[in-house]
Amino acid sequence: MARKYDQLFETVRQNVEEVDVQALKSAVDQTGKTPVVVDVRERDEWEQGHVPGARFIPRGFLEMRIEEQVPDKEQPVYLYCAGGVRSIFAAQALQQLGYENAISVSGGFGAWKDAGYKFDIPRQWSPDQRQRYSRHFLIPEVGEVGQAKLLDAKVLMIGAGGLGSPAALYLAAAGVGKLGIVDSDEVDLSNLQRQIVHTTARVGEPKTESARAFVNDLNPDVEVVGIQERLNASNVLDLVAEYDIVVNGADNFATRYLLNDACVILNKPIVDGSIFRFEGQVTVYAPGEGPCYRCMFPEPPPADLAPT
Amino acid sequence: MLPGVIGVLQATEVIKLILGQGEPLIGRLLTFDALESTFRKLKIGRDPECPACGEHAALDASKVQDMDYQISCALPIAGD
Repeated sequence: MARKYDQLFETVRQNVEEVDVQALKSAVDQTGKTPVVVDVRERDEWEQGHVPGARFIPRGFLEMRIEEQVPDKEQPVYLYCAGGVRSIFAAQALQQLGYENAISVSGGFGAWKDAGYKFDIPRQWSPDQRQRYSRHFLIPEVGEVGQAKLLDAKVLMIGAGGLGSPAALYLAAAGVGKLGIVDSDEVDLSNLQRQIVHTTARVGEPKTESARAFVNDLNPDVEVVGIQERLNASNVLDLVAEYDIVVNGADNFATRYLLNDACVILNKPIVDGSIFRFEGQVTVYAPGEGPCYRCMFPEPPPADLAPT
Repeated sequence: MLPGVIGVLQATEVIKLILGQGEPLIGRLLTFDALESTFRKLKIGRDPECPACGEHAALDASKVQDMDYQISCALPIAGD
């Protein structure tokens, strides 16, 4: 005879491990290995707020998506819903897929909030943004959380030339929210062979304006701050301080040392690139985490040996 | 074409840093030889005596502001 819902629920519940929100909190706060926390509610519920760091996989998509997001089936997976009922069934579904540590959080998000724990309210996306970033949303390494980080990020680009052009275009396409572009030059016809952010129609315009026009056409979410100045000792610290990451596309020693020193003082990473004839180089100078430019070249070589 | 390759690699590193994903090229120098079509990775390490970030470095904002980088980039370290 078919079981009634109450009977089914009790049967399922007996075979599922449950923890309270206090246990979830201490698991989340544990330093080192952060546990996988999955929110199985519907989108409108998720948008009202969720446990920080949780992944959003609605109950209806759980079996389809969990293996892509959590390939390791021995990994503890905490599942929560609004009150701790749907997450019981979700845990059972994961058990059936071979997850050995699927844990339902009793009381769910309601209990989490009642306990006074911090929760995140996810960014609200416009329909256009949902479409524009839909491919990012599908990649586990980006997702909605990563896209929000990109849109909140501020990147300072030194130079809108050969390196800065492609970097600016891809960063803008990806939805990096703020791009500061430092370049004091104007677009020259001889630039167009490699500086792909500029166009024939914009020859003679400041490169910052030309780059801004291209980026705005590509992605209106991106704020471009054009800084039509040469980077120098008196403006570098104020400029760098306003950004999270610096992209160096200026291939000269003075700028490289200047940026390096400013970024060491302000603790900002530099993504450095350089080109010499047919060879190119890329590295990241992250103060405190790895070498800086001066670790390798404490001082510039004599001028007659320096390629520019 | 080479600036495109390098510029896009730089953009990729920026995205990784923002997302906190993967292994950024910290302490590693990636080189691309377009004629040979080869990538190589070289390890680069911190210098404890680095005048900017080493143990005896005395770098601060006033040193940056007082230096004329177009003429000289040499940085005095503590005691100099």
